[in-house]
Amino acid sequence: MGANANNTKGARGRVVVTGVGFITPIGNDWADVAASLREGRHGFGRVEFFGNPNVPVKIAGTVRDFTVDSTNWRDWKWPAHHEIARETLRGLAPHGVYAICAIDQALAHAGLPREAVANEDATGLYCASAGSAMMLHGHLKQMDQTRGERGNPMGVVSSICGTLNFNLAAHYRITGSVCGFVSACASGSHAIGYACDDIRLGRLARAVVVAGEELNAETLLPFAAMRALSSQSDPALASRPFDVARDGFVGSCGAVALILEDAGVAAARGARVLAEIAGWGQAADGHSVAMSHPGGRGLANAMKRALADAGVRADEIDYVNAHGTSTPVGDRAEALALKSVFDTNKKQPRISSTKGLTGHPLSLSGAMETAFCVLLMNEGFIPGNPHLVNVDPVCEGLDLPRTTLNERPGVVLNNSSGFGGSNVCHVLRAV
Amino acid sequence: MPSQSFDTNPSEKLARYKPEVREAYARFCATGDVEAVQIVILAMVREHLPKPSDAPITDGQRLIEDLGYDSLAVAEVVFAIEDTFGLRIETSEIMQISTVGSLKAFIARKLGPQGV
Repeated sequence: MGANANNTKGARGRVVVTGVGFITPIGNDWADVAASLREGRHGFGRVEFFGNPNVPVKIAGTVRDFTVDSTNWRDWKWPAHHEIARETLRGLAPHGVYAICAIDQALAHAGLPREAVANEDATGLYCASAGSAMMLHGHLKQMDQTRGERGNPMGVVSSICGTLNFNLAAHYRITGSVCGFVSACASGSHAIGYACDDIRLGRLARAVVVAGEELNAETLLPFAAMRALSSQSDPALASRPFDVARDGFVGSCGAVALILEDAGVAAARGARVLAEIAGWGQAADGHSVAMSHPGGRGLANAMKRALADAGVRADEIDYVNAHGTSTPVGDRAEALALKSVFDTNKKQPRISSTKGLTGHPLSLSGAMETAFCVLLMNEGFIPGNPHLVNVDPVCEGLDLPRTTLNERPGVVLNNSSGFGGSNVCHVLRAV
Repeated sequence: MPSQSFDTNPSEKLARYKPEVREAYARFCATGDVEAVQIVILAMVREHLPKPSDAPITDGQRLIEDLGYDSLAVAEVVFAIEDTFGLRIETSEIMQISTVGSLKAFIARKLGPQGV
């Protein structure tokens, strides 16, 4: 398989999605995720950390059928039909287990055996992960206990930020480009964007994009220290993007994988094409280490750049999957950014934040929501904002449906924003 | 009695191992029985095989060439041995170990004179 198979020199390739895989709080396969999104079914469960009822985090988006809360991989459990060899497990973080299950599912969805991406120089791997704070904590504690005399040899590769790309590159025998993205909550979208560029530039024929996040005290509670998490214990009240009473995000976890291919390469192998990634854009806030620009400056620019890259007018967008984490500052900034991009006198896109159902899985969110958009375009509906009761007045003029709409979106925009004011948007087109 | 400070409760460090391995560890801790150490080392070698196998492991087998160990797996099993027996094994010493037998002999030497 050669990269750029159907492109003449200088022409930009088209990028299509041919497979997705879901390990998420709202389902571990396409059908389950589709049902949850359509029915407005959240994926929240009660959590307790340190056995301490005083910890101010009561619920989170939890993943079913996995047990990965130990720092020792020998304790982990995952669905038996996913084969993960010991030589892979020994270097993984918990979210690496999710990631392998998501990739295997995405490859199968794309009609590709594992062998099709192994030792194939035109296949790349693009990963989004913040590493594993839990594994890092465990390994460093062990090192502290021996006063630096010894530590687990797999401590580095199972915990630092590149853990997904290190492990998955070896596991899947990836010989094209391999890279990782660490722009916090925009990481997953960055991974997709740069994978698209490498395909469009003819450097690759195919990319496996995967993003993962885990849920444990070490990952989540530092956000409580920032006062960024909802303190609600009622799942219907905790994550309510764009509601006037929103009080923070709900942490969550999982992994999502997407198989991106050059359109010509996908056509040549007779692949089922799920959607086209028509363009993407990014722009920064230049404002704060953790807070969104109050007017949504960077996010608005990122949306405009994505639209321009895709050659799509704002009034052609049918649906926006908002970043909408349910934080007071972030949602306000996004609402203002949306209003600066979409002329309220013209056709408005439907807007919803699926984080109302999933919570916010940080590095995973951009890839997860892009995959949700792919699903929605194929299933023919737009998810609502089921936890939205009293719309924040700042959202006036935006179309925020409460319930699912049986409308098939043809052109979709997905927003993501990360710490440091890193904003990334994608435009997807139905095929 | 061994002079080092061992964890004599085998249900802790060797919780994932078979009862006979935990019993061997407890026996070594109680009596300094070097033969018991061999049982534990062999079980650890098996536990850290990159590709799990129930095939017999013999002293003459080389960790890398015959048992499929890579350098990370060697580091892992050495770490497990260090942690279990409270030893410190230098990288230069690891480089001298090639077979299962040489590993067992090396650990016995490390533990032997000081440990009994």
